[in-house]
Amino acid sequence: MSDLLHFSEHTLQEVALVIMACVYTLRITWLLRFKAGKERQAPTGQFRTNRKKGILYSWGNIAMPWAMESTRTKKFFYVQFVIFHLGVVSAIGLSFIIPYAPQLLDSRIVSATLQLSIAAAFVVSLLRVYRRISDKYIRAISSPDDYFSLILLTVWFFFAMLSVPSRPEAGETILLIYFWLTAFFLIYVPFSKISHYLYYPFTRYYFGKTMGYRGVYPLEKQSPPGPVSMKG
Amino acid sequence: MENAVSSSTEERSHKAQKVLERMSKKLNRQMVGSLAACVHCGMCTDSCHYVLSNPDDPTYAPAYKADRIRKLFKRHFDWTGRVLPWWVGAKSIYTDEELEELKDIVFGKCTNCRRCSINCPMGVDFATFNRMARGLLVSVGVMPEGVAVVSKDQWEIGNQMGVLKEEYIDTLEWMSEELSDELNDPSAVIPIDKMDADIVYSINPREVKYDPRTIADAAKIFYLAGENWTMPSEGWDMTNFGLFSGDDDLGGAVALRLYEKVSELRGKKLVISECGHGYRSTKCEGPNWAAHTVPFEMESSVLTMLRYIKEGRIKVDKSKNKEPVTFHDSCNNARSCGLFEEPRELLKLVVEDFREMYPNRSENYCCTGGGGAMSMSEYTPRRLKSAKVKADQLSATGAKVVVTSCHNCVDGLTDLIRHYKLGMGVSQLVNLVANAIVVPEQVAVPEAVETEVPKEAVAEERALENYKILVVDDEPDILTFYSTLLEDNGAQVIQASDGDTALALARSEKPDLITLDLSMPGTDGGEVFESLRKDPELSNIRVCIITGKPELRRLIYDREVQEPEGFLDKPVDDETLLLNVRKILEVGDKPGE
Repeated sequence: MSDLLHFSEHTLQEVALVIMACVYTLRITWLLRFKAGKERQAPTGQFRTNRKKGILYSWGNIAMPWAMESTRTKKFFYVQFVIFHLGVVSAIGLSFIIPYAPQLLDSRIVSATLQLSIAAAFVVSLLRVYRRISDKYIRAISSPDDYFSLILLTVWFFFAMLSVPSRPEAGETILLIYFWLTAFFLIYVPFSKISHYLYYPFTRYYFGKTMGYRGVYPLEKQSPPGPVSMKG
Repeated sequence: MENAVSSSTEERSHKAQKVLERMSKKLNRQMVGSLAACVHCGMCTDSCHYVLSNPDDPTYAPAYKADRIRKLFKRHFDWTGRVLPWWVGAKSIYTDEELEELKDIVFGKCTNCRRCSINCPMGVDFATFNRMARGLLVSVGVMPEGVAVVSKDQWEIGNQMGVLKEEYIDTLEWMSEELSDELNDPSAVIPIDKMDADIVYSINPREVKYDPRTIADAAKIFYLAGENWTMPSEGWDMTNFGLFSGDDDLGGAVALRLYEKVSELRGKKLVISECGHGYRSTKCEGPNWAAHTVPFEMESSVLTMLRYIKEGRIKVDKSKNKEPVTFHDSCNNARSCGLFEEPRELLKLVVEDFREMYPNRSENYCCTGGGGAMSMSEYTPRRLKSAKVKADQLSATGAKVVVTSCHNCVDGLTDLIRHYKLGMGVSQLVNLVANAIVVPEQVAVPEAVETEVPKEAVAEERALENYKILVVDDEPDILTFYSTLLEDNGAQVIQASDGDTALALARSEKPDLITLDLSMPGTDGGEVFESLRKDPELSNIRVCIITGKPELRRLIYDREVQEPEGFLDKPVDDETLLLNVRKILEVGDKPGE
């Protein structure tokens, strides 16, 4: 392994992680500087629920595609969402496995799982690029950051997928590109829309708290489609 | 944050500058989270009725609309947008024209129904910051005319329809008499300002103006339940335009007026009549806007009626409501207050054939008249076009009547049902409960009177006999509709389709009542009204203004002449028109008596 690859796998990643952690800390501090709105009224709605249940339901929403009409009626899109985010986890995990636990990749199951998951995410990200360009609704709301973030991830998935075997002896170019992209990704994330996962716990916490207190969350199961007559 | 706003004030209008300055004071953590967290995934798009009815126009998408507000936030409060605005779509606002464009979005393309909020994977609550944006615009005077008029009425007169105290008390007394007559019981009355009542009943001014039947129906239920109840003579309006205008000061003042009146009467519980935004404002938001801890209980009249039946205080016979009905959940009740099971429970007790609408409860579509949309006549064509999805949803139920616990929804649904020719009626639970109620023996109407009902019905049909009414409107369909209805009820009707003809006919025919449209070619209704009032020979003719532009109310009430005897907003259904005409003419008393 060359000094450059060693630097890329270790020092570069560590510096990028520290920068990301610092910016994230600043982001959360900034958010917390805004006073949280409070509700002083008596609770309303269904007695079966409360603030705590609302918060838990809201947090768990991500894993309950049946909970929202938007995911319930777009199952393929939800599957894409799952694949895409599992791919992100795998590609980030890979950036730790290669420098700190390379022996894990000796397992065919581990390496195949990682590669398959990242490859699937790559395909999904291509679909997402296509959707962002072709869907007039999505195009209308997209900023340069939206396009760039998605393309960045697509390219990153591609090189992560190729990097899974982690064989520098067969050539270091792919690994170098992957680790430099990872470092850039880590530094860029807090400044971009990709930082949404930082806000997720907060937005869903407060929305769930409000909706739980008002008896809306957890949502009631919907009746089956079409009118249902309940005579008598 | 202040620096961020003030550092780029060059060429910015005074109003735009104020909007940005005030935004920093309005932002709280929930809003900032919602403004920062959107990933532009587009999952909210199909949740919006505006999008579903306007599939070719991406500017209706919730995320697109939210971004018109978000770009300001990013430009001035989020440091990524301050450093690289073009990269993240951040943009400031400079001119009054841009404020007008923002007004068109936040008032004209969103009813704050919150359906997109519950469909956002990130928990972005667009409705909350859309309301904030409305409030910012209102604070600098940028708002639809109707919003300005209604807000002014609520600030100055104490209710959002400008109902004067005398008019309100008259209506209560009228309904009290109707109740006594109906039950043949002089003690069946509406108690006003009774101290130490168990229930203080608050209503929507729409009930006084257009639908006093709901007051009588509620009174009948309270009376038969043996309730110790009262209605306040002041501070009775439980609606709150602050919810729609985003004006927290107005919201707090209106809510406080009601809370203080209940406390003054030492009422034990405030019961809120069926109104989605009124319920939400009074029960959920009011204590926050007013920073006031409410010392008494508050509940929707839906719960009150349900409890009476469950406790056996009133008995109902569902066979009296045979028509197939469906239920429309008001957004404010269902999505912001969790009130969706009790109305169904009650409905199933009082109707024979209930048909569920899909989607329903918290996922129901907006009536399309919410968020104050019914008072913004400039957006009416857009509102009705966007109601297509609701119309389809309603007609899929096969029901003949749609029931809703919200006056705003009643108006919105009535309008779209007429527009899409669905042939459905709209009702509220209070009407169905009152209709299904079994009057016990001790207060039962004597049989002899019951057998005379058909005669009374016949008499009611001819109730306007001997009255001459001049109907003035430039729309032929409306002219025909009003005229036919009034003639069917015995009135002698004369018609005018413009202001000059109306004045000429008023002079030659001396009608007992003129129903007067405001927007007409030539001499408009406002000028006709003033001419009538200033002419000593015509000044006593009773006038009922009927307009599709409620914001023109000011043009009438600001004139230094005696106010009209009635003021109705279009669309007007037959029942509302007849009730108001009878009320204005004090039917029962023949002309000249």
